[in-house]
Amino acid sequence: MKQKNLLSLFLACCLAFTLTACGGKTEEPEAGGGDAAPAEEASGETITLGMIGPLTGSLAVYGTHIEKGVKLAIDEINAAGGVALSDGACQLAVETKDDQGDPTECVNAMNALISDGIQLVVGSATSGCTSAITSVANSEGVVMITPSGTADSLTTAMDFVFRTCFRDSFQGELAAQWAKDEGYTKVGIVYCSADTYSAGLRDAFTAACGDKGLEIVAEESVATMTEVDYTNQFNKMVSAGAEMVFTPFYYDVMGPYLVPQARSVGFTGVLLGADGVDNTETTIPDGADLSVYNDVYFVNHYSTELAASDVSTNFVKNYEAAYGETPNNFDALAYDAVYVYKTAMEACGASDAASVQAALADTSAAYDTTCGSFSFDETGTPIKNGVLMGYTYTAGDEDVSKITVKALSLS
Amino acid sequence: MITFIQFLITGLRLGSVYALIALGYTMVYGIIKLINFAHGDFIMVGGYSLFFTIPIMMNVGIPGWLAVVPAIVVCACVGMLVELLAYRPVRKTGNNLTCLITAIAMSFVLENLAQAIPAIGPDPKVPYTLFAKTISVGGVAISHATIITVAVSAVIMAALYFFTQKSRIGCAMRCVSEDKEAATLMGINVNHTIIVTFGIGAGLAAVAALMYIAQYPKVFTTMGATLGIYAFVAAVLGGIGSLPGAVLGGLLIGIVQSGANTYISSSMSDTFVYLILIIVLMIRPAGILGKNVGEKV
Repeated sequence: MKQKNLLSLFLACCLAFTLTACGGKTEEPEAGGGDAAPAEEASGETITLGMIGPLTGSLAVYGTHIEKGVKLAIDEINAAGGVALSDGACQLAVETKDDQGDPTECVNAMNALISDGIQLVVGSATSGCTSAITSVANSEGVVMITPSGTADSLTTAMDFVFRTCFRDSFQGELAAQWAKDEGYTKVGIVYCSADTYSAGLRDAFTAACGDKGLEIVAEESVATMTEVDYTNQFNKMVSAGAEMVFTPFYYDVMGPYLVPQARSVGFTGVLLGADGVDNTETTIPDGADLSVYNDVYFVNHYSTELAASDVSTNFVKNYEAAYGETPNNFDALAYDAVYVYKTAMEACGASDAASVQAALADTSAAYDTTCGSFSFDETGTPIKNGVLMGYTYTAGDEDVSKITVKALSLS
Repeated sequence: MITFIQFLITGLRLGSVYALIALGYTMVYGIIKLINFAHGDFIMVGGYSLFFTIPIMMNVGIPGWLAVVPAIVVCACVGMLVELLAYRPVRKTGNNLTCLITAIAMSFVLENLAQAIPAIGPDPKVPYTLFAKTISVGGVAISHATIITVAVSAVIMAALYFFTQKSRIGCAMRCVSEDKEAATLMGINVNHTIIVTFGIGAGLAAVAALMYIAQYPKVFTTMGATLGIYAFVAAVLGGIGSLPGAVLGGLLIGIVQSGANTYISSSMSDTFVYLILIIVLMIRPAGILGKNVGEKV
């Protein structure tokens, strides 16, 4: 009997380990990439980019889309002849690591990439995860471009961390400006005090409200980004008379918890979020009262509807051809990150971290991206604009639809 | 005033779910003195079972909430299997400590096993929400889910109390919890009684899962972990081993959480839950309704 118990315990352990091991899957580099033959002879060398993102877990939408964006860009670049370095053209490949949306896993993923000799990394998706690996990138001298890590503190002058998205202080200000333009005077905030992203946005929004003369009538916080109950917080928003509430959370709590609960205690005003709210449509439960998702808006990086430049329309066309769906902003920002690497590598003619870092740190260089042309500021954050998007539902429709309201820029 | 009533309603709603789960903890503890850490994961099993069966039920034209019946069956089976395959063999050879470690191990095994099933996987799923409508009474908004949760919990708790007091198997449970050897001498099949207890406890977790996902429509493999801890605290607070104690503890924790959220600080609501636990345990070490039985030497 004892032996049997030992055996079952051993099997249980094996199972547990296999499962954790499943987390970090590695993609073998795709030779050739795409059907089109390379336009010019590649020098035979392949540059492998690293990619870190939550491919599984509650924020899996982010990681899977970043991966799709990165792969599309790499396939395009390889099909067009690769990256032209000073000693000939190189093909690109990617090594993907899953951080499960967890900062600890993210550090493990980063260390694994570094030990594989990777010098250029795209990742990670969230500010919380990205902030866990910026110091590793800087101390090891590995270049990192985060497609969607918006926290202000991620990029500083003279370091190895860059991004293709705007920063939180900027999007918080955009949010406050939109609220003012819409004529709101009494606003509320519900945020998570323990999260880099949520607390950073709250600070930016609060500061901007002060400048623009918006009165913050109530402010409530929750302890974690995975909190399930927001009814008491919105209860207070209602009693404080907030016309609009700023909610810097991710989509995984917006759809199932926050929005329906806010409405259930009688909050009928506007819910304004930031880029984390995008993809909420994937977490709306069947059978829910869809009219509650009206008047939910969010500041975002990119909208296919406002795609104006050649790069952008080309991206949308190729993405739809490759994956059969419309891209979202994570696809676009990750796609941009790869092209930013390409431009920088071609500018310096090398693919080692130090040269690429120097090329990226040149604030006069311009990058043509899906969100228009931009340059980095001295910290490595692009100077660009945002868009306001939202959700709408009319009785009789099958689903909530995502709408693009307008382009946003600071006046 | 509206704020006050709303806080009370939220507290009752949270508390009812905690109470249902705490009943499972307390029943198992009462009978074999084992803190079944895998109990929280029975809720996850119930949640996934509901996630898959509700759409099937609706397609066939049966009301979605009846999916709770297969969920109860699935949970009860899992509960009994856990007892049969893990706890019973360990109990025969080991001591209380080995049982406790087995319970923790079972919790991880269940979570990881669920994740290994391709249809479940590591990503959270959003189930169909039942009872999504809201009614407004004098300015206070109450969701159908809240009313149903409180009512169903009350009925189940009352039924469970009468079951343990009046029915034959209920009496057997109380006998086994008081003295296993004496119960055996009286002709009670102890193993049979224990397995029934596990079945009922896990079945209650399925009902709690229905109530929980009606309010918080998301299922994931670790969803039982935090819920299980609150329910465990509720059971200890009320006096572990006592059924009315579990109910009282559950409701108290729900109301304290909601109150701390509303009136003090929402980031500190958990602090108050544990603070109350510590204070109560200092004054009454066996919990509010727990019997203080001296160690048998």
